[in-house]
Amino acid sequence: MPKIDLTMDVNGRKVVKQTEPHKRLLDFLREDLNLTGTKEGCGAGECGTCSVFVDGKLVKSCLMPAAKADGAKIETIEGLARPGSLTPVQQAFHKTGASQCGYCIPGMVMAATSALRENPDAGIEEIKERLGGNICRCTGYTKIFEAVEIARDVIAGRLPETALDEDATGESFIGANVRRLDAPSKVSGRLKYAADMKMVDMLQMQVLRAPMPHARIVSIDTSEAEAMDGVACVITADDVPGTDGFGVFIHDQPIMARGKVRHFGEAVAAVAAEDLVTARRALAKIKVEYEELPGIYAPEDALKPGAPVIHDYAQDNVIKHIPIRKGDIDKGFAEADLILEDEFRTQQVEHAYLEPEAGIAYVDHDDVVTVLSPSQNITHHRHMLAHILDLPINKVRFIMSPVGGGFGGKEDMIYQGMLALAAMKTHRPVQLNFTREESLVASAKRHPSRVKYKMGLKWSGEITAIEFDMLSDGGAYGMSSEGVMRKAAILSCGPYEVHNLKVDTKVVYTNNTPSGAFRTFGGMQAQFATESMMDMAAEALDMDPFELRRINMMRIGSRTHTQQELTTASLDRVLDAAEAASRWEAGAPKVRGPRRGDLGGPDARKPCTLGARIGDAADTETKDERVAS
Amino acid sequence: MLICESYHVPKTLEEALRLWGDAPDGSRLVSGATDILPWAREGRAGDVEIPALIDVTKIPELKGYSCDKGRIRLGAATVYQDFLTDRTLMSNLPCMPYCAIWFADDQIREQATVVGNLVNASPVADGTPPVVALNGEIELTRLEEGDVKRRTVPVVDFIEGPGRTLIQPGEIATAVTVDSAYGYGGSFQKVGQRRSLVISVACCAALVRADSTGTMFEDVRLALGGVGPRPIRLRDAERRLKGERITQELIQRVAESAADSVGSRSRKEYRRDVVVNFVRAGLEEALANQPEIGAKFKNFGETENA
Ligand SMILES: Cc1cc2nc3c(=O)[nH]c(=O)nc-3n(C[C@H](O)[C@H](O)[C@H](O)COP(=O)(O)OP(=O)(O)OC[C@H]3O[C@@H](n4cnc5c(N)ncnc54)[C@H](O)[C@@H]3O)c2cc1C
Ligand code: FES
Ligand code: FES
Repeated sequence: MPKIDLTMDVNGRKVVKQTEPHKRLLDFLREDLNLTGTKEGCGAGECGTCSVFVDGKLVKSCLMPAAKADGAKIETIEGLARPGSLTPVQQAFHKTGASQCGYCIPGMVMAATSALRENPDAGIEEIKERLGGNICRCTGYTKIFEAVEIARDVIAGRLPETALDEDATGESFIGANVRRLDAPSKVSGRLKYAADMKMVDMLQMQVLRAPMPHARIVSIDTSEAEAMDGVACVITADDVPGTDGFGVFIHDQPIMARGKVRHFGEAVAAVAAEDLVTARRALAKIKVEYEELPGIYAPEDALKPGAPVIHDYAQDNVIKHIPIRKGDIDKGFAEADLILEDEFRTQQVEHAYLEPEAGIAYVDHDDVVTVLSPSQNITHHRHMLAHILDLPINKVRFIMSPVGGGFGGKEDMIYQGMLALAAMKTHRPVQLNFTREESLVASAKRHPSRVKYKMGLKWSGEITAIEFDMLSDGGAYGMSSEGVMRKAAILSCGPYEVHNLKVDTKVVYTNNTPSGAFRTFGGMQAQFATESMMDMAAEALDMDPFELRRINMMRIGSRTHTQQELTTASLDRVLDAAEAASRWEAGAPKVRGPRRGDLGGPDARKPCTLGARIGDAADTETKDERVAS
Repeated sequence: MLICESYHVPKTLEEALRLWGDAPDGSRLVSGATDILPWAREGRAGDVEIPALIDVTKIPELKGYSCDKGRIRLGAATVYQDFLTDRTLMSNLPCMPYCAIWFADDQIREQATVVGNLVNASPVADGTPPVVALNGEIELTRLEEGDVKRRTVPVVDFIEGPGRTLIQPGEIATAVTVDSAYGYGGSFQKVGQRRSLVISVACCAALVRADSTGTMFEDVRLALGGVGPRPIRLRDAERRLKGERITQELIQRVAESAADSVGSRSRKEYRRDVVVNFVRAGLEEALANQPEIGAKFKNFGETENA
């Protein structure tokens, strides 16, 4: 590949390096200079994990060709403070606990530093605006903004330096800023995530993905790709030595598509090559012949007679059905004064953790196949991979690298197997870093669901019976579906004591992107339906929604939907606290007119408006700036 | 992934024009690279191998701006952040700061050029409506038998449709020239799938100059983006407002008539609603933002984007 020479001042040191002309500043910093505090969360300018200073201006290094920065002065997260020390901004982030997974934090610290350099007196609105190009998925922005305000005031001398010290905590940590042990490594960019690590002689992997959602694989021809210079190996399902199949509950998913593809973006083949560009070029040389199959794209269709079958073992396309029965719903509905029926739908949701999937595999000196990745489930992965590779468990090792956000989305072993196969085939370390697009297309999503709801109530507000019927879209593979359905069923009718209920949660295969674990694990979909029903019931009964909930809430001694007797219960206190904190205007939902007195209070989130700084600039404008006409 | 054989950073316009003229097919010009790099990704162009990238942002002639005869010539290297940091640009181009603040984010605005935005010719480019409202012209430069030749094209004509412009092979856009609108009130309306860091579904730029008593429209400029393949200047609405007494009824009436300018086929009804609200809010905010006599228009109160 052609080369160019670049000269830069990076963190105060002169750097002269040869690199490839296509590299972005982000690649140059991470790959050529090993400055991996600058991260790649999206590669498209959206997330801000790659923010660096170029000649004093903060920019997104994923959008800057490295050659554009030739001759420039670059400052990265590593250069903000001397080794062993932290800047006031970094100390403030440490203090307020403004780092969880930490993946966004170097970029956040850079954006905060830039905001305070541009305007040391920036108010909170301007700080928010200036941090607007940086996304955090875990911490939430409150602690981050608090940190920037503390740092601003310490730098300006309005607060003493001790304001950066750890908060004193008394009896309780609640309400106090608590430092995280791992925060210094995150605010300084020193923590190494899987994509930040390098091994000697390491290969780069790229994955060929299915261009259609349901198809039989007629043939795969990898010969041309394999013959390319720089390609170390190409792998397909045929390379799996043991019993292929993984999944959190059912092992229905092959390492790579075996015989057919079941969703758009499913891995079909993978290349390990000397560098990323060679691996990309090799992918284009793999020839796959597909025979398209009729697909299923709505869960209702999966249950129709004669529907296409997605997995041979499940001719009815059902992944799991969880029924719960308690009491007698016919009796319950007969006792009701009012019966409400409705249907609720929720959509697919992506976790969007800022760290895209990444991993490294190698075979060590004792022939132990080792996989390093931000897996949320390493022990289970290890057991499954041993079967798949047909190796004894002591020859398979999983190392969990720091997880740059998971939220359930990194429970599935969707790429670790490919890495292991390539490492075994080449006896070289192999790395795979997903792009954001790849992460979106290949990782599990929150289950889209449809709930048919029937609720019987007395005029007093007491619920007499509930019939709850959920159908969820499991997508192409089982993943965590079974557990999600169990949780949805257990939580279905909410924290309310219902004596007569019939609950069914069912998840089916479709040719959509697989659904899997996601925070609340099925609870959200169920609660959306239940709590909406409660509000609608309050309206129908002309009753205050808090009252209706108090009448039905589980108490000590109540039996849950699955007949467990409760020895503790706190919903009464939760409702009291929520009612007070929200300044709730008592009364049935329909007593309020178009204007609600309890909205828009001091603690309510206002809609985003921008332009805090424009007014300031306009105030100081002078007449002689007029352009002569 | 964008892969290129060579990356050139010419230091003079002539060198750039020569490189561009000789560049193998498929080569591209680069300014901020904020369109070109995301374009070469999965789901859009995918992997793209390009012979040469020619970066024009280090050419001194293309940097900075100059003012002459009521016009401002913005060099091609002018970035959106300049409209939030340069006082002269802020006061002479009063719709640009409002466009800029809703444009991407602080970091991208340090790179993203006005010229790149116009040449990229996305129907939802935020820069197009304010430039069109400012009677913008794009300057195109080429080499002809060794001589540097320039022509200018009104931006409203330059953009022919999505990704299509009147730029010719061998030409480099070297500047955008716009009216000085000193003393006007400016505003910019934008709606997208979220509020911040988002590509518009539709946008609208407004410039207004009321008389010194604040009762009459002396001049009005309105332009829309995102409601058709090309930028739209609302000449008819402007005519109906100019010289008229400022009343909320008039503003509403004119705003409603603007709905017919929507040419987009998708989400047409939605876009019609948006346009009516944008024209009304755009005029009201521009009036409120007009320096010196702004106080007169406080009675319009807060307006909301659609
Ligand atoms: C996260 C993100 C958010 C964004 N938000 C917005 C937004 O809010 N509003 C909006 O309108 N856009 C937005 N964009 C798009 C982009 O930033 C703008 O269109 C920007 O103005 C493009 O300018 P550039 O200098 O980066 O162009 P480049 O990417 O360098 O070039 C764009 C095109 O113009 C050509 N070109 C560049 N310079 C010249 C020249 N001198 N002569 C001839 N041709 C040239 C290039 O070959 C290319 O085809 C966003 C982009 C990203 C990544
Ligand atoms: S903004 Fe650069 S990686 Fe996301
Ligand atoms: S801490 Fe911000 S994304 Fe995880």
